[in-house]
Amino acid sequence: MTNSERKKEALRYLGYKNQELDKITDELIDDAMDEISTIANGRYIYKTFNILRDESSLILEATNFHLIGEDIKNHLNKSEKCILIGASLGHDVDKKIRYYEKISMTKALILDACATVYIEELCDTICQEIEIDLKAVGKSLTSRYSPGYGDLPISVQNHFLSILDAKKQIGLTATSSSILIPRKSVTAIAGIISKDEVKKNSSCSNCNKYNTCMYAKEGYGCGR
Amino acid sequence: MDVREKLKNDKLIFDGAMGTMLQNRGLKIGQLPEALNITSSDVVIDIHKKYIKAGADIITTNTFGANKYKLIDSNYTVKEVIDAAIGNAKKAIGDKDIYIALDIGPIGELLEPMGTLSFQEAYDIFKEQVIVGVENQVDLILIETMTDLYEAKAAVLAVKENSDLPVFCTMSFEEDKRTFTGCNPTSMVMTLQGLNVDALGLNCSLGPKELEPIINDILDISRIPVMVQANAGLPTVVNDETIYNISPNEFASYCAKFVEKGVKVIGGCCGTTDEYIKELVKSLKDVDLGETNPKAFSGICSPTNAVIIQGAKVIGERINPTGKKKFKEALVNGDIEYILKEAISQVDAGAEILDVNVGLPEIDESKMIVRVIKEIQSILDTPLQIDSTDPKVIESGLRVINGKAIVNSVNGEDKTLENILPIVKKYGASVVGLTLDENGIPESAEERFRIAEKIVKKALEYGISKEDIYIDCLTLTAAAQQEGVKETLKAITMVKEKLNVKTILGVSNVSFGLPNRELINKTFLAAAIYTGLDLIIMNPLKKDMMDTIKASKVLWNEDKGAVNYLATYENTKNIESPVSNTPNKDRDLFQIILKGLGEEAKAATKKLLETKEALEIVNEFIVPALDLVGDRYEKGEIFLPQLIRSAETVKASFEIIKESLSNESIDNISKGKIILATVKGDVHDIGKNIVKVLLENYNYEVIDLGKDVSKETILEAAVENNVKLIGLSALMTTTVKSIEEIIKTLKAKDSNFTIMVGGAVLNEDYANMIDADYYGKDANSAVAIAKEVLG
Repeated sequence: MTNSERKKEALRYLGYKNQELDKITDELIDDAMDEISTIANGRYIYKTFNILRDESSLILEATNFHLIGEDIKNHLNKSEKCILIGASLGHDVDKKIRYYEKISMTKALILDACATVYIEELCDTICQEIEIDLKAVGKSLTSRYSPGYGDLPISVQNHFLSILDAKKQIGLTATSSSILIPRKSVTAIAGIISKDEVKKNSSCSNCNKYNTCMYAKEGYGCGR
Repeated sequence: MDVREKLKNDKLIFDGAMGTMLQNRGLKIGQLPEALNITSSDVVIDIHKKYIKAGADIITTNTFGANKYKLIDSNYTVKEVIDAAIGNAKKAIGDKDIYIALDIGPIGELLEPMGTLSFQEAYDIFKEQVIVGVENQVDLILIETMTDLYEAKAAVLAVKENSDLPVFCTMSFEEDKRTFTGCNPTSMVMTLQGLNVDALGLNCSLGPKELEPIINDILDISRIPVMVQANAGLPTVVNDETIYNISPNEFASYCAKFVEKGVKVIGGCCGTTDEYIKELVKSLKDVDLGETNPKAFSGICSPTNAVIIQGAKVIGERINPTGKKKFKEALVNGDIEYILKEAISQVDAGAEILDVNVGLPEIDESKMIVRVIKEIQSILDTPLQIDSTDPKVIESGLRVINGKAIVNSVNGEDKTLENILPIVKKYGASVVGLTLDENGIPESAEERFRIAEKIVKKALEYGISKEDIYIDCLTLTAAAQQEGVKETLKAITMVKEKLNVKTILGVSNVSFGLPNRELINKTFLAAAIYTGLDLIIMNPLKKDMMDTIKASKVLWNEDKGAVNYLATYENTKNIESPVSNTPNKDRDLFQIILKGLGEEAKAATKKLLETKEALEIVNEFIVPALDLVGDRYEKGEIFLPQLIRSAETVKASFEIIKESLSNESIDNISKGKIILATVKGDVHDIGKNIVKVLLENYNYEVIDLGKDVSKETILEAAVENNVKLIGLSALMTTTVKSIEEIIKTLKAKDSNFTIMVGGAVLNEDYANMIDADYYGKDANSAVAIAKEVLG
């Protein structure tokens, strides 16, 4: 992603709709982008699993992990294998956002948005890396699907992390109410599909934020 | 021979991985390894036996995750699992002479401030495990794979306070020499050594090759035995299987090298099997345990910032209510933000350590020091000095502090020494000794030296090392005791030369009662630095004083080649005075708020106050500007960061306005109290904080309860402060449930409570469903609701 693409993304998260962008805001975003690039400590882990199917759920082979719900079933209906991904920007980002919340909410808000851009970009990079290998065997990936989307309950988060051994491998944990810590982190599942398969855009209605999403309200997606 | 005895003269060999061996025997990914202690005890016993046969001196129970949190979805209690695990270890041992280590891994959920688990909750979880270990008479407790120093501290305290067992503690570092949470090896050694563990070191995360530089760092400074359990190299995934990249032979030769360097306790972690331990035992046959020669040094730390006391360092003194009206008010009102700003500004000005004094008769000092320490440590990594003479306050502070602190202070009185030094020792802190006693401050340097000598002797008796003692020879005021000023400096020289301990001094008292105090202060400071003063307690915002320190460091050859001096002053000419102090004639406060020019509002407000009453400024400038900004935001003409910047500009203006008003008039502008909280289970509070800024702009008094707040806390605060409007925020589907419960609790108590809710996951319908009175779609609408409810 180029810097100007990142900035565009950050602005989108900040609710920007082509208003006049004053010089101060503009510079604050540039500064925050610089800052996030130095404090983010991106780490990730992914593993590939065969998908076993029974009547009620999908099971990842050699694990005790069941994927519950119709939505994930649909998402992976063309896949025999899937990849579990965990990624995080680390604790320094959280700490810096907490710090700014005490001295400047404006800076906190902007750094938070920039961090979101970075973690999404990290996930894209991971998927691209995986797809390079898959391409050689005529395969590709579906879009990413996370615990909490649609009817896949977010309460699977801790189990998801243990399947990846993510706590030990990249320091990614969850609270007892399934919030990922560090905060700027993502867990997701992507199915492996044949390259010829048309990549489905994950539709907004599958998203757990659909009812309240400001982008959905405007009639266009968040770009996920 | 017990473990401690053996460790004195000999090396100890641990076993290798349990998880790897279990996976090789069919443990499914995601399955709870600890359950196998009960369901497949044969397998576990067999693994232990293999390690014993390979030659391990100590076997580790299969209890890494046997804690309340991780077992929650299993059908077993902690006691059942640990009982079974130790039983399996005992069966494997039979009548052989092998030690059993109760294994304790991380809880799996992070502690505050990163996560939501409190220090006490973590302590209780570990305590439960320790007690079962003690009941089953294990030989030692191994706390391992820690990445959070705070969690390691909770675990060590749980062992120390609930058993007499030896405790070994190892943490996991990455190649950048930091743990996932940012802890560095020096901070780890300082903190764990202070907590009196029996061995400390590294395990997991990397292979022996990658760990070697970190091992070297630790051997350089650790005064207690060092332990290493490396992985079998780095993992690579081949055909969807994780393979570690070094052979048993290679692993063993690294380990032999570590033992030669002085690593006393050695074993294996992920990827190692009995084959690795067998080779390890073989390779150690002809290896002599190396002697280490750890450097003695003085230092304190937070997990991410180890400050070594070499050359003069500044301790910021401003977190202290003495003589400060605003600070006192902040303490009484629980205005943590004010205190944090004092912390931040001092660190920005160059303080390397912060003194924390929250002593005020009207408040519970123990509670307050805990709160302030936690809040500071959640945003800054500057090490802290706990400033109190009350043992209860000191212990409360030392217990929750993350890292190694200084206690300020004891003096030559027997009672304070006997009450405070044991606490200092228990928590591994450093201590300041004031050279005074029941007879006051002695006049001569010699007499002060004698008190210092007594303090040092006592501290050493309590097991506190010389490096952890800082003597304060006390500054007298030149106006009253002119001949005494010299005695302080003379005493510093004596203490440094004869007792060989570090010194500390607050300097600004010297000028009391004289005009141009700064001149006296900085002249005295320069002289004190020349005598070798190590820690200076002062206000780092006084630029002259900071300049004097920088200059002194050049003159006394500490700032070699004047590198720091040049870096600071080379471009002095180019520094412009900040714009914020000069009001721009073309812009009035209205425009400044509209444009969100922040600090510029202060100067403009000051100027307006020369001609207008506070209330006039509020009504003629602030409210119209805010309304216009709010309106433009509603219409989409500006977006969120712009709205917030205007709001923060208003905040800056109010700081000046409030300074000009008496408390009574401030109460008069207040439009009423509102409680805000992010509910239990949720940690997203940026949205709530934005709402707070806006409400405060309109002069609502916001009682901010923070994040992850229980219904009890909200109810208590609402009743105690007689609050009508309560704002609750949640961002997760899972935590909306919390909101619903809180609303029920509040309404049951008093149907007059009015509740507004907001947060990404909520909407109007949902708000109605959970019986909230209002739904605020954004910060702006929260203001509209407040106006409607409170006027």
